[in-house]
This record gives sequence, C-alpha cells and structure tokens, in this order.
Amino acid sequence: MSESRAELLTRLERAAQQIRRDVFRALRAGGGGHVGGSCSAADILSALYFHRMRVRPQEPEWPDRDRFVLSKGHANAALGAVLAQAGFIDPAILDRFYHFDSPFGMHPDIKMAGIEMCTGALGHGLAIATGMALGARMQKQAFHTFVMIGDGELHEGSNWEAALAASHYRLANLTAIIDFNKIAQSGRLTELVGLDPMADKWRAFGWEVREIDGHDMGAVVDALDSLPFHGERPSAIVAHTVKGKGVSFAEDTYLWHSNNVTDEVYARAMAELGAR
Amino acid sequence: MSDSGNWRERAATQTRLAFGQALLELGARDPRTVVVSADTQDLLGIRPFIERFRERFIEMGIAEQNAIGVAAGLATTGMRPYVCAYAPFISARSMEQVRNDVAYARQRVVIGAAASGISLGVAGGTHHSLEDLALMRSFPNMTVIVPADIEEAYQATLATQDIDGPVYLRLGGRVEEPTVTDPAVPFRCGKARVLRPGNDVAILACGAMVSLAVQTSDDLRAAGIDARVINVSSIKPLDRETILAAAVETRRIVTAEEHHLTGGLGGAVAELLSVEHPTRMRMIGMPDAFASIGPTVKVREKYGMSAAAIERACRELLDAR
Repeated sequence: MSESRAELLTRLERAAQQIRRDVFRALRAGGGGHVGGSCSAADILSALYFHRMRVRPQEPEWPDRDRFVLSKGHANAALGAVLAQAGFIDPAILDRFYHFDSPFGMHPDIKMAGIEMCTGALGHGLAIATGMALGARMQKQAFHTFVMIGDGELHEGSNWEAALAASHYRLANLTAIIDFNKIAQSGRLTELVGLDPMADKWRAFGWEVREIDGHDMGAVVDALDSLPFHGERPSAIVAHTVKGKGVSFAEDTYLWHSNNVTDEVYARAMAELGAR
Repeated sequence: MSDSGNWRERAATQTRLAFGQALLELGARDPRTVVVSADTQDLLGIRPFIERFRERFIEMGIAEQNAIGVAAGLATTGMRPYVCAYAPFISARSMEQVRNDVAYARQRVVIGAAASGISLGVAGGTHHSLEDLALMRSFPNMTVIVPADIEEAYQATLATQDIDGPVYLRLGGRVEEPTVTDPAVPFRCGKARVLRPGNDVAILACGAMVSLAVQTSDDLRAAGIDARVINVSSIKPLDRETILAAAVETRRIVTAEEHHLTGGLGGAVAELLSVEHPTRMRMIGMPDAFASIGPTVKVREKYGMSAAAIERACRELLDAR
C-alpha cells in the first residue's frame, strides 16, 4: 500500500527526467530557450509537485493550495513541464511554447492554470511570496509558500529587501529554494559578481538554512519533509545544482543558459534523457 | 461603522491625511483591508489604522520595491492591500514592480502616493514627483486618480473598494489644499466634475491646480469672461464625454496640473482632443526641466503653476479668436 522510500525516490527521479524531456519538447517547439536553468531545477520541481506540495490540478484556484512562485521565471519551460505532468494543463500546450497567443511563453504568466504570478523580471518573486505568506497568516490559512530563486538573480537588491522582511515577520510558512548552479547568462558567477558565502548570507538575514545537493533526490525529499526548519524563521534551501543537468553537452556551461534547440539537438538530448 | 465623524478635522486640509482617515473606515468595512507602509506612518496618517487593526498592518521599512511586491502577493490571496508611500519613490524606484506584479498581473493593489508634485519643494529635484502620472497612466489596467481636496481624497479612497484592478491615488504633501469640491456630489471613478459653469473657455485641472482654476474662473467672471472649471480627478479612465463637451461648447481648453507637460493630464486631454475634436489648447504645468529648490508655492509660481498664469492662458486663447 504505502510507497517505500526507494520507490518514492525512483518515482520522483523518473518524473524529473520526464520534466527534462518535456523541456526539450517545448524548446524544440519554440526553436530554443533556457535549457540550463530548466534542467538544474528539474529534480526539485519534481519533488515539490509530486511529493511535497498540496495542490489540486483539477482545481488550480483551490484557496488552501500550497503556493509556488518561480522567481527565476526563465525556467518556465520546466514549470510548464511539471504542470503538464501533474495535470494542471493539457500536455499539448508544451508544443505551443513561444507560439502566437499561447499562454506558454518564455516566462510564467497567470493566464496559464497553475501559475501563481507573472515572473521572470528578476528579483520579484521573493517579495511576492512574502506577501502570499503574510496573506496566509492574516487569513489563518495553513498553506505553505515556496519560491525558487536563481543564484544570479540574487544580484538584484530587491531580493534582500524581501529577505529582511520575511525574517522580520517570522514567516515560517515561507521557503526559498536557491537553484545554485553557479552560472549566469554571461559566465560563472565567480567571474561576474560572486555570491559566496551563499548560505551565510541567508543566515545573516535571519533565515534557517540547509545546503543540499539539488540532484540527490533523497536529500531534496529530506529537506522538503523537514520544513519548516525553524518554528519562527523562514527556511532557505541552498540547492547546489549543475546548470543543464542531465544533458552532457549542456552541463556546467553558460553557453546553454539559453540556446537554439533544433531537431538534431533535441534528438541528442532525448538520447541522453532516455524515454522510459 | 467606525468613528469616522471627525475625519475632516484630522485630515487638516491635506489629501494625504484624508487617505489615512479613509483607510480607517475601509478597515472597519472590509476585513480584507491591509495597509502596507514604507516607513510612511505619519506621512499618510495611518497611525489610527495601526492602533485599531494592528494585525492588518505591515511595515516594510524603506523598501518600496518590496512594498509593492508584497502587496501584490497579498492581493493574490484575496487581501486588499493599500500601499502607503512617497510618490517620487513608489512611482519611479518600484516602477517595474508596479508594472509587472500589479498592472500586468492585474492585482487589486491601491497605491497611496503622497508628497507628489513639488510638495516637497525644499527637498529638491530628487524628491519632486513630476512624472508619476505619465508613468502610471502608461500601464494598461491602471486607474489613476488625483483628488483635488480632502473631500475627494476621502471619497476616492473609499471608492477603490469597487475598482476591480490596481489604483494609483496621487496625494499632496504638507501644503494646505483648500476644499473646492462639494461633498454632496459623490466622487465617481472616470467622471470629471464641473465646478464652475461657463462657455467662453474651459479649464481642466487636477489636484492642487483645481483650487487655482476656481480662483481664476471667479476672477475672470468679474471681467465678464465665463470660464468653465472641470475637476479631472480621474486621469485614467478619462471622462471623454465631459471633456469633449467642453471642447465643443467652449472651443478653448486650458489644462493645469502639477506635473511635467509630458504625459500627464494635459497630454491625456491632448491625445483625446487631437483625434476626436481638435481644439486650441494651452497647457499649464512643469516645463521640460528639473524644478528649483524652494517653498512649494514659490516654485510652482516660477514655472507658471499659478492662478495668474492660468488666467493669462485663458486670455491668450480668447484673444486668438
């Protein structure tokens, strides 16, 4: 009856690979897009939507649903992929990525079921998620708010305004997940503007922090199952990830932050991601 | 109902304080009302709200971008946030949050933007807000309102309850704003109100310029000139019907605002009339320059935002007949 841990992890890992395949499906339909940040986020998205979050795909506006805000909105292909796999949207929408009048563009748009906010201009999501967590508290709702933030995105100062406020208001119902893949559009963060020590920054802002390997499904599940990390502090999961994870030619390089996805690229990616 | 009877006394002729008093009333009417401050508790007179509804008050500190983002997040959960802020900072510094999180995502966030125009005259150009109407008016979904006095500020704030979308309420500073509207004529969003009749020329004004327009009209009447005064507090949506009627009936339009001549009330009226009914116009407002430092009224006068300048503009149009 109940799922063993091994079964759980296998199920989530498979779902994550499906997200990656669907990312390439969407990107091929659109001609290209953000491979790197979509693939680095895939395992965490799988664990959120298929294990941790309480959501109702058939009732996307269910008031007590957990909230997820993709602050690094350029990974919207991965979010669309997980929403399709979860049943929020028709998987056929994946084939309309970037298409005229599609609800599925480069960045999340509330026109699409399951999307909580229009994001992608970087540095917006944490403030929005903070507002959602405050709204839950004021209305005595039990939902938890998750926000995924890109590492390069943390250059935007607005994040740190929100980080201050969330800890001031002791929002234990808020979790920030940092997709720490170490690479932005122009290169390595250490060569742009460095962000280390990442975890210490969040601790200094009053957050309870855990660092995990964002591709170790057991570690991802354990972190999500331990939330909140502290009864009176917001939680931060610093997830060490690999940009482009799962596709060898796209891994750990800024060249695949965003790139063209031709039929040939698609075929190479799918060969590595293996249909199951 | 709240003890709102003495709100006029507490608003002390200032629209920014009338906003705070109206929030107290809204807090009592609607449990979803939540007030978000950017270290502006006295600026917008919200301490009574805080005392009464502490659990529905959020201080964000000096962080306008965060205040707007948080308000948008609150709105998604069904709360009705009112952001209290300085006009120059909330309109410019957090403009992207207003555009994306509030206007594009069409969240019901009301922004109370105090100390607008050159009300912070002595603070200098860094603290003047002379482009906010142009910025806010350019966003789809936004409603933009400039109350002329405390009566209208109070009514307009209450009226936001029924506006299904974001609102930018432009409020004044510490300069006295004389009462010119009739509290018995209710504020309606999208409706301009005629304050003085007249068919020789029409003065379309908003905010602090409305009382100067009324004064101008009264002065001109003594000289046998009937200047219609229209309080265009609703910059967006614009009351096309009332403005077009004024253009048809008077054939001369003067606009007056404490804002750059680019993109504000004058711009909105010109956009309408140039297409629908080309009409001779004069525009009173801030020319393409950063304003001098100084007391508000003196700075206004320097750049032609005075009753004398409005009267000159009216006479120029009449002479051009």
